[in-house]
Amino acid sequence: MKYFFILILFFFNTAWAALPTVELEKAHVNIHDKKSIERGAKYFATICMACHTMEYMRYDKIAHDAGVVYERMPVQVTTWPFGVKPPDLSLEINHRGADWVYTYLHSFYTDPSRPTGVNNLILPNTAMSGILTSFQGVQILLPETEWHHSDFGSGYEWYDLLDLQSHGAMTPEQFDAMVSDVVNFLAYASNPYQIEQEKMGVFVLIFLVLFFILAFLLKQSYWREIKRKQRK
Amino acid sequence: MKKNKLFTWITARFPLNEFSAKHLTHYFAPRNFNFWYYFGSFSLLVLAIQIITGIWLAMDYTPTAEGAFASVQYIMRDVHYGWLIRFLHTTGASAFFVVVYLHMYRGLIYGSYQKPRELLWLIGMLIYVTLLLEAFTGYVLPWGQMSYWGAQVITSFASAIPWIGKYIVVWLRGDYVVSGVTLHRFFALHVVGVPLVLLFLVFIHLVALHYVGSNNPDGINTDHSRASDETIPFHPFYTVKDLMGAVVFLIVFFSIVFFGPDMNGFFLEPENYVPANSLQTPEHIAPVWYMTPFYAILRAIPNKFLGLAAMAAAIALMFVMPWLDRSPVRSIRYKGMYSKMAICVFVISFVGLGYIGIEPVSELRTVLAQFFALGYFGFFLLMPFYTRFETVKALPEQLTG
Repeated sequence: MKYFFILILFFFNTAWAALPTVELEKAHVNIHDKKSIERGAKYFATICMACHTMEYMRYDKIAHDAGVVYERMPVQVTTWPFGVKPPDLSLEINHRGADWVYTYLHSFYTDPSRPTGVNNLILPNTAMSGILTSFQGVQILLPETEWHHSDFGSGYEWYDLLDLQSHGAMTPEQFDAMVSDVVNFLAYASNPYQIEQEKMGVFVLIFLVLFFILAFLLKQSYWREIKRKQRK
Repeated sequence: MKKNKLFTWITARFPLNEFSAKHLTHYFAPRNFNFWYYFGSFSLLVLAIQIITGIWLAMDYTPTAEGAFASVQYIMRDVHYGWLIRFLHTTGASAFFVVVYLHMYRGLIYGSYQKPRELLWLIGMLIYVTLLLEAFTGYVLPWGQMSYWGAQVITSFASAIPWIGKYIVVWLRGDYVVSGVTLHRFFALHVVGVPLVLLFLVFIHLVALHYVGSNNPDGINTDHSRASDETIPFHPFYTVKDLMGAVVFLIVFFSIVFFGPDMNGFFLEPENYVPANSLQTPEHIAPVWYMTPFYAILRAIPNKFLGLAAMAAAIALMFVMPWLDRSPVRSIRYKGMYSKMAICVFVISFVGLGYIGIEPVSELRTVLAQFFALGYFGFFLLMPFYTRFETVKALPEQLTG
């Protein structure tokens, strides 16, 4: 009997409707776009930092100037709604990948069965609130009959399954730009040394290629006599 | 050479000249070393990289459950060039296994484990096992989710031992679960205990090598005590050749260090960017790529104890290989058809097992893993037969090529 009820729940609860695997949309991270990173840091300080910390960026200049400072992070909060502590986002891009975060932030939809009132396509039953709804607008999950492939030959994109019912404070283009900036900042936060790393890498590789030419000529000059002996 | 006073003072008291003569200028190596012969010296290079970067990492790392994860991020972000030192060390760990596996494969195809080099092979195998221990203890130190749960899974292997297993697990961990106590002792093992063993083994590996002399791609005997048409002094010929090879190796190595140290999750797993959490098991726990062939063998067998026994046997069989090979020739160049096929089967099985060990379990993968395990064990267990009952080619009088 118990199982029967569970079965009933399965059929009638939209939150349990089997969602297909959603393709991740490309985030186009550009760590050289300092302006975008700075804008992203500002968004992070004013929106994300209501719940999320970013502990390992507390000594970073870009983060600090934007207001991502330790004193304002919710580090002291111990009682979170539903008992889920929002994760620290210092290493989120290394953990999930930029495309995942970009798609995740786009794919919230209204779901009255959730205590937060929203659900997410790629992290079903997420504990995160619909804080982005005020910017993006209200999205609903389309019934399966109305799903359509935008790109032939690939799986469903998040926007194939969701429908924007009403605009928020931003147009879809503005919202995309904001999410790009936030993802760019998160990518910077995960690897703040990356620009220096790539620059140094170019010099090291150039040095090694030149060194190889010398090492090769040195080897050739020694081995010439061996090669000559062999030929005889 | 013009000898200065200090040099004469030293050589009167220390056999510097004799040493360099014995091991470099008058150590005569076969002249036809090919591509496969670079990986021994590359291993030494990587060992040096690991020791030097390891010392610098230990200066800023905190081996406690509370501080470990944060101290790694402190190294990455606040220590000058800390990210470089750490990426050199993490890339070095995987590079070590790449070069050691290729070095072992060289020994395999040219029969470098055969008489009189059995002990050289055994010492090399001990180095390999010690290296696995070093890698495992080191992987726990960043104290991410994979560090924690990898340690939990691997230490729990001991619980499959009948009767005393559960006591051994507690003894290994120093606690009933993997905890800060485990982390601290693994740190001690990783930075002091295991490296000392490793250095000692590498030393006697070289002593044994220079006593019996290097093998060659033809697998025929050469005299390493004197120069001939077939042998050349290691220095300068192989030192300059290895230097050239080392630069090529470093180009590949630094390309990874600077432009993709994660190697798409193969060198640094994404799950390990989340701090260790004993209350949340990751969806899919997989060891790092260099351990996955054995992990796949373990999972291919449904019984836990038998699975572990098979995994141990997979490594043990490599140790006894010198006594499994009954071929009158060493090198694959002169062995028969069966041996050549067997090596193909072995390589496909080993790589196949490695791939399956990375992926989550599925029914098809389990069947495939069993199939590859059969290939792996078949290669060793049938070796006494296929090496004896095949027609071998005649050995050349002199080194070829």
